[in-house]
Amino acid sequence: MSANLSGIKHTRGFDIVKPLSITMLIVMMLPLILLPMLSIFIFGTGNGLGSFWRALKAPEAVFALKLSMVTSFWATVFNLIFGLFAAYVLTKYNFWGRNAVIVTISLPTAIPTAVAGFALLLLWGPYGLFGRLVGAENTPRIMFTSYAIILANIFVTFPLAFGVIKPVLETMSTSLEEASATMGASRWQTFWHVTLPSLRGALLGGALLTFARAVGEFGSTILVSGNLALRTQTAPLYIFAKFNEGQVEAANAIAIVLALFSFAIFSILFFARDWLEAD
Amino acid sequence: MPYNPEDIHITPLDVGKAAVTVIGVSKSFGAASVLDNINFSVDEDEIVVLLGASGSGKTTILRIIAGLEMPDSGMVVLHGKDVTQLPARQRGTGVIFQSYALFPKMTVESNIAYGLKIRRSNRKAIREKVDQLIELVGLGEHRKKYPSQLSGGQQQRVAIARALAYEPEVLLFDEPFGALDAQIRATLRREIRVLLKKINVPSIFITHDQEEALELGDRIGVLNAGRMEQIGTPFEVYNKPMTEFVATFLGAANILEGSIKEGRFVTEGVALELDGDGKFKDGQKVKMVFRPEDVFLRRAENLTQNYQKLADGTIKEVTFVGAFERLTVRVDLPGREEIFVNRPKTETAGFPMRAGQNVPVGLVRFRIIADQKPD
Repeated sequence: MSANLSGIKHTRGFDIVKPLSITMLIVMMLPLILLPMLSIFIFGTGNGLGSFWRALKAPEAVFALKLSMVTSFWATVFNLIFGLFAAYVLTKYNFWGRNAVIVTISLPTAIPTAVAGFALLLLWGPYGLFGRLVGAENTPRIMFTSYAIILANIFVTFPLAFGVIKPVLETMSTSLEEASATMGASRWQTFWHVTLPSLRGALLGGALLTFARAVGEFGSTILVSGNLALRTQTAPLYIFAKFNEGQVEAANAIAIVLALFSFAIFSILFFARDWLEAD
Repeated sequence: MPYNPEDIHITPLDVGKAAVTVIGVSKSFGAASVLDNINFSVDEDEIVVLLGASGSGKTTILRIIAGLEMPDSGMVVLHGKDVTQLPARQRGTGVIFQSYALFPKMTVESNIAYGLKIRRSNRKAIREKVDQLIELVGLGEHRKKYPSQLSGGQQQRVAIARALAYEPEVLLFDEPFGALDAQIRATLRREIRVLLKKINVPSIFITHDQEEALELGDRIGVLNAGRMEQIGTPFEVYNKPMTEFVATFLGAANILEGSIKEGRFVTEGVALELDGDGKFKDGQKVKMVFRPEDVFLRRAENLTQNYQKLADGTIKEVTFVGAFERLTVRVDLPGREEIFVNRPKTETAGFPMRAGQNVPVGLVRFRIIADQKPD
């Protein structure tokens, strides 16, 4: 009776939902993300690579790119150190108002960048609380200098590194630190030799995220920097200014650089973190 | 002051000779008392196992000795030095954590070298010590590997080598076999005992596994709800339990309530001669404890054996469990309707038994314990 059961073949019908949904996904992404990205490259190189290169070598363009890199670098350094410190304190100690501190650190995520820039202006501008102190003669001015750009970058990227480091610290076993202590290590030695190495991936990730976000910052920068070519004009401001002047090709060249740059950072984030976090 | 010497009234402990002495240690977390006046010591070269269920406070004792937790009162002495006030890093204990807590971003070598690096030993000395320890724990081919590339047993050996590197005052093992499966556990604990006996470092293990305690410990301390019920050699705690808890926690035990009358244990229908143990007063309420293997069953009345008859019983169930046979015997004793009996293979082969049979129940040995906890 059951002799020939093994001869029965089971087949499943062709599932139309699978190819259909994949196609739909790509069709949706096309006009929203892929085509805009593609047009930057098509238009930017439409007059040949030579003109693209010339647009890129314009002194104003070079300056804007450099300024973006330098200001983003310092904002990243600050927020990385701050984020690490904040994450360490907030995972290690429980105190009254701890949640309020976490919310405050995370707040810049929800604040429109134009509002952030405006707030900085009010504080550091000529009539602001700090502005009155630093605006006087023989003191350095903050607003409408590259320091203002760094301040704006720090503000808008404030929670990023913190947000990457904190969850990693939280999942770290306390017995690692206890083991280190029983073996004779001070708090600082434990932090340096045990805690920090386990955060390599998170630190790199946080740094790249902060840097990428800072390089692209526009809304707050345009308010606090003054947008002066060759003085306080960052790369995104340059794109905006050149586009307004009708120099689409100049704007486009920088846009390509920024796009490629983001792509590079994203790739590192994607691949290098696995590698760094592997034991 | 964390302790008041006036509060400490205990059997004298030889602080001078012992590697570890815990004196009158108590600890509460909030309203919950976790440890209540704990006293014990560990000699040089000795392995002491603290045995208790979860929540018995055994982990807290270990953490207090390591300096990871502060006692509310009492003191911890390591090799004659009062370390109660010292932070963990100044005590020089070697803790083998339950999860081993190996540093994930360091190789086996670096993990082992860590304690020496912290102590700023010179490179050559570190190198030699690490080589020596890697050989001791047999991890030569794994020295460049990271902890995640090692098996549980190998990780444990790294954890031990890492603690041994800086010549610890005492090794403290926090349920070291908890994360391993049963077969590996048995092999590893034999290996570790051999290793510890070879290097002669005083050690304290904590476990909830009685078999592990019996096999590993030179002495076993049995903890119950923050109190040390008894501490003694495996033979003592198994064969001469001082409390009902110890009797039932270490191995299976049948218990009968009764009292002492004229050198006998007496309860309804039972009168057993005590062999010389005169520490119980006449009329005192006591408990009589006997282990399943202390029971002797025979089909026919046979008085050639050296046993005392307890009762007549009926075999309810016979279970074959490998090395021996486990029987449930129905009896008619006050407060007790069933007793458990183990019969070794030699017995079961000569005198097979089955359910429903009537048998006289004899006791080869038994133990009397005081009904109340001794103060």
